Amino acid sequence: MIKIEQEAWDLMVAHAQKTYPNECCGAMLGPIDGDVKTVRVALPLENAYPGAQRERYELRPEDLLFAEREARKNGMDLIGIFHSHPDCDAYFSKTDLENSCPWYSFVVLSIQKGQFHHANSWLPNMEQTEAAKEELEHPNA
Amino acid sequence: MPKILIPTPLRQFADKKDAVEVSGSTVGEALGALTAAYPDMKKNLFNDEGKLRSFVNVYVNDEDIRFLEKDKTAVADSDTISIVPSIAGGR
Repeated sequence: MIKIEQEAWDLMVAHAQKTYPNECCGAMLGPIDGDVKTVRVALPLENAYPGAQRERYELRPEDLLFAEREARKNGMDLIGIFHSHPDCDAYFSKTDLENSCPWYSFVVLSIQKGQFHHANSWLPNMEQTEAAKEELEHPNA
Repeated sequence: MPKILIPTPLRQFADKKDAVEVSGSTVGEALGALTAAYPDMKKNLFNDEGKLRSFVNVYVNDEDIRFLEKDKTAVADSDTISIVPSIAGGR
């Protein structure tokens, strides 16, 4: 399961609401203890998708390299990635799946009319053909 | 020997190490040495045709090997190889 702590959660929601009506993205860092991943730090990153960002996001690999280095520097792990779905539900779309990486948790925040609505976490498989819902605990749940 | 930094989710396949020193004078040789030492790592990094999976980027220090000489990119003993995911999406 994945637990998101208050400070990290506030930053994720603020980033998603600020970038509305576009999609936002970022990295989640924290410790992993057995099956429990705890997001202690959220790192908002720039959506580098060159086209319409209302429906797409793209992370620069060098930004993820930075996130990985930040995690190592602080004795934490890169747990996963978050992004927003403006005015639609927090499902894991075909585009999300085909451009995902099975090593990480993917938290999707549904932002409706500019405000946080709900969130889900997803675990894609190795072949990027399906994603399982992961138990998610956050302060607004 | 060049050092490969292991992303957290893959450490379970590398005796929980966060970095592994490997022999090899190119990125391809270094990754080959890594997967030879830790065979379970292979399916995470390479597809059935032996090509790097679409979501895997490899950096030597701060440089993406796609913009160097890909798997033939030379590595020296002091170099650090990073495995970085490629991630995008959309509703």
